[in-house]
Amino acid sequence: MFSKDNRQEKFKDAETIIGGSIKVKGNFQGQGNIIIEGFLEGSLKTASDIFIGDKAKVVANIESKGIIINGEVRGNVRAKGYLAIGETAKIYGDIQYGEISIDKGASINGQVIMLSEEHKRAEKTKEEPDNQS
Amino acid sequence: MHVYVYDDYLNKSKYNRIINRVEIRLTDLGLNGKILRLAGIKNIKAAIQNEIRIGAKTIVAVGNNQTVNKIIGAIINDDIYGDFQKKTLLGIIPIGNDNSIATSFGIKNTEEACNILLARRVEKIDLGLAGKNYFLNEVSIQSQGATLEFDDYSIETMEKGEIKIINLLKDKDEDIKSNPHDGMLDIIIKTKKKDRTYFNSKKFKIVNPSEKLIVDGIVEIDTPAEIGVLKDRVNIIVGKDRLFE
Repeated sequence: MFSKDNRQEKFKDAETIIGGSIKVKGNFQGQGNIIIEGFLEGSLKTASDIFIGDKAKVVANIESKGIIINGEVRGNVRAKGYLAIGETAKIYGDIQYGEISIDKGASINGQVIMLSEEHKRAEKTKEEPDNQS
Repeated sequence: MHVYVYDDYLNKSKYNRIINRVEIRLTDLGLNGKILRLAGIKNIKAAIQNEIRIGAKTIVAVGNNQTVNKIIGAIINDDIYGDFQKKTLLGIIPIGNDNSIATSFGIKNTEEACNILLARRVEKIDLGLAGKNYFLNEVSIQSQGATLEFDDYSIETMEKGEIKIINLLKDKDEDIKSNPHDGMLDIIIKTKKKDRTYFNSKKFKIVNPSEKLIVDGIVEIDTPAEIGVLKDRVNIIVGKDRLFE
């Protein structure tokens, strides 16, 4: 199992940090971990993990391996691995996840759907092609 | 053959002593060569290109950041660049202020620069491009009202602060790992609200109608300006204490 602290530790070497006074508009994509503390409108995608800070506002569909949400998200969220929703999170949109934790005080307005085992296996195969040979 | 390109500001008498010391040291090390004084030359580009054409093995910028950028500007976009990349190394002997490029390459002072030239430790370095200006270290601009436009997205900031676009770190204390061999530029935005933004990119446009873009701490240019990077473009003689791997 992973603790919340462990998950946040992973973001120490984030490839991208969007600070609190920054506005991003458009389709923002990366390969490494992404931290959002400011405003983002459009779409947000990475092959790694996303951390959304408590002051952040994201008006976008989000897709990545793992996601931690503490701020406001207006859009659909798809975490192929874990999804951690903090007590200050406000989500207006549908959620798909592999594993989930929701803190007391979080607000979710949308459908919450667990990805099927078959789907998770397919995602894992895509991520680890070498293990299949 | 070594060619030493002396910048025009070195004509001032206050630099006589240090220039004498450099020349004695270079002679002691067997590194003496031809001296090209920019103060007496109208067409700097042609003069530097000619030295490469007739077989200069090392072109050494004797001066500051601007001297290095003058040499790079003289060769990078011309036919001579092919010869330069194959046959010629770029060295630096820093004299006076504004020598962050030399510092990045681990060249801390004039005397050490002569020893570094002798050791000939060579690195291939990316070259940044801001409008028509090349840069080795960084370009910077005030952040308030600035927009950075990428292919798929844009980034705006309304807070006071500074945007730095880094090819080669000039400050050891900057809390990022910048790699001048990766074909990427690192972008850092620090505002007075003490928040920090960091990401990297190969190519974008920067716009701030009320501020100038400052290239390698010296040249000021207007925006909008296209920013890009040319991978492994210059062979430079570096010291072992350089600020990158």
